[in-house]
Amino acid sequence: MARLIFELKGVYFSYHGKIPALCDINLNIEEGSKIVIMGANGTGKTTLLMLLDALIFPQKGYIRALDREFRENLLNDWEFVRFFRSKVGLLFQNPDVQLFSPTVKDELIFSLLNLGFTQKEIEKRLSKIVQLFRIKELLDRAPYQLSVGEKKKVAIASVLIMEPEVLLLDEPTAGLDPQTTRDIIDIILKENSLGKTIITATHHLEIIEELADKVYVLGKENKIVRSDYPKEVLYDEEFLLKYNLAHIHYHHHKDLVHTHLPLHND
Amino acid sequence: MRVNSFIERSVVSAFSFFRESVLCENYASKRGLLQILSPPIKTLFVFFLLLAVFFSKSIIFILAVYSLCILLSYLSSIELRFFLKRTLVFVPIFYLVIALPSLFNVFTPGEPIIIFKIFNLTLNITHQGLFSFSILFLRVLTSVSLCVLLITTTFKYELLKVLPIFGVPHIFVLIVGMSYRYIYFFVEMFQNTYLAIKSRVGFIPSIKKGQFLVGANIANFWHRSYNLYNDVYNAMLARGYYREVKLPRSAKPHFVDWAFLVIGIFILGLSLWQG
Ligand SMILES: Nc1ncnc2c1ncn2[C@@H]1O[C@H](COP(=O)(O)OP(=O)(O)O)[C@@H](O)[C@H]1O
Ligand SMILES: [Mg+2]
Repeated sequence: MARLIFELKGVYFSYHGKIPALCDINLNIEEGSKIVIMGANGTGKTTLLMLLDALIFPQKGYIRALDREFRENLLNDWEFVRFFRSKVGLLFQNPDVQLFSPTVKDELIFSLLNLGFTQKEIEKRLSKIVQLFRIKELLDRAPYQLSVGEKKKVAIASVLIMEPEVLLLDEPTAGLDPQTTRDIIDIILKENSLGKTIITATHHLEIIEELADKVYVLGKENKIVRSDYPKEVLYDEEFLLKYNLAHIHYHHHKDLVHTHLPLHND
Repeated sequence: MRVNSFIERSVVSAFSFFRESVLCENYASKRGLLQILSPPIKTLFVFFLLLAVFFSKSIIFILAVYSLCILLSYLSSIELRFFLKRTLVFVPIFYLVIALPSLFNVFTPGEPIIIFKIFNLTLNITHQGLFSFSILFLRVLTSVSLCVLLITTTFKYELLKVLPIFGVPHIFVLIVGMSYRYIYFFVEMFQNTYLAIKSRVGFIPSIKKGQFLVGANIANFWHRSYNLYNDVYNAMLARGYYREVKLPRSAKPHFVDWAFLVIGIFILGLSLWQG
């Protein structure tokens, strides 16, 4: 059996101590696997990824990652920060949040500078990632002036430049056109073929089959309601409807056409 | 709907104002003389010239510095119309506050040219007054031009990066830089919220309702700002931020930089020597 990257037991988290954002999560994630966390909006996907990235910590249960148990005071331990941040990369759901630097170039090298890489190593990795993503002409631009697709690319590049072993991806294809979606999935799959562990949170059914060996579904109660192979879940229409992951097709409504009178209010 | 269109107009104009100030970065990325200077040196150069203009009592000298500004703007591929428009927007504001009082003899005693009589108060425009009025006008015009040159030919964040050289901590620079960047994001968010309300409600029926909606939005806005701050902090942590931010270093100074430094010091010296 492959090495366990993440091990979660009875994990519970709630934002202000009232409404739970995640309940009783049990997960084992092996090195080199592709995992998809599925769930409708508000079911706790983002919260789970934040927990896995040691940005927030479980209030009940425990998380072990890369052979260490998470504790809140780990964030004050420089050795841990340097080790963990270079091994695990998180792509945030909202690229506007992730891209906080004044230029694309500064954004790309932020992690390397802060993790104490040498100038030479930084230059080397920068030119490599720029080539891979074909973003040379964006380097001096401000991230907020980019298009949605470009922002997403830069955000992923700024994570991959660390060459992490584990990639946590929060809705990597949300709001992208089909071509950009394709590009990004190809990049992710390539990373996986190089042995990296990929954990993706999404509710886009189209991309699940490619991005998952195994699917975990979060339900309205913010618990894992099913863990299964992607094919099994994707063909279970009743299940998908029940958990808000698919919608009924419109053509059933053909006979129900009715008109609205336009409303004027001036 | 009066209220509605008022809010709409202010929102839209605020938005386009920020758009425009962002668009100004276009000049910073053009090829030109001032663009190739390193930002710290450019800042020093402008600072020396500001001092020179401030200390000089010669109209000819200040006119010469102003001509230099025009020349530099030309050499930095800034369109003359844009440059003049930008400076002329700011001049009256500075000018009226500082210069107008000195025009009248209340402040500058001397021989009168024109005499105003308002009630029993006599206001004379004097030779001396007119002289200091025009020298002040030129000073303000030239100072504003210098600042406009600095700001339009430099990326905003490059200007910010000059601060640590003068002892300002890196984290402050990052925060100011981010505020600038997120103003843009907020304005967009605010405008989207506004449009969302408008598209759902169709119109805002009364002043009271309008005020309520704006108020509710500001609360919502603060809440979202707080969340955004938290999220950005997390995004920094996730990529290895640990107690102290490390920013990339600016490029080393070149020959042109040293040349400009010397010219700046020379002009300042000239102004002081003139007295
Ligand atoms: N910063 C926060 N403060 C308070 N509640 C939050 C915050 N972030 C998320 N939540 C709540 O936690 C639950 C899970 O949210 P989230 O993890 O973002 O779900 P998802 O990513 O699946 O949409 C939701 O009910 C959401 O309202
Ligand atoms: Mg989410």
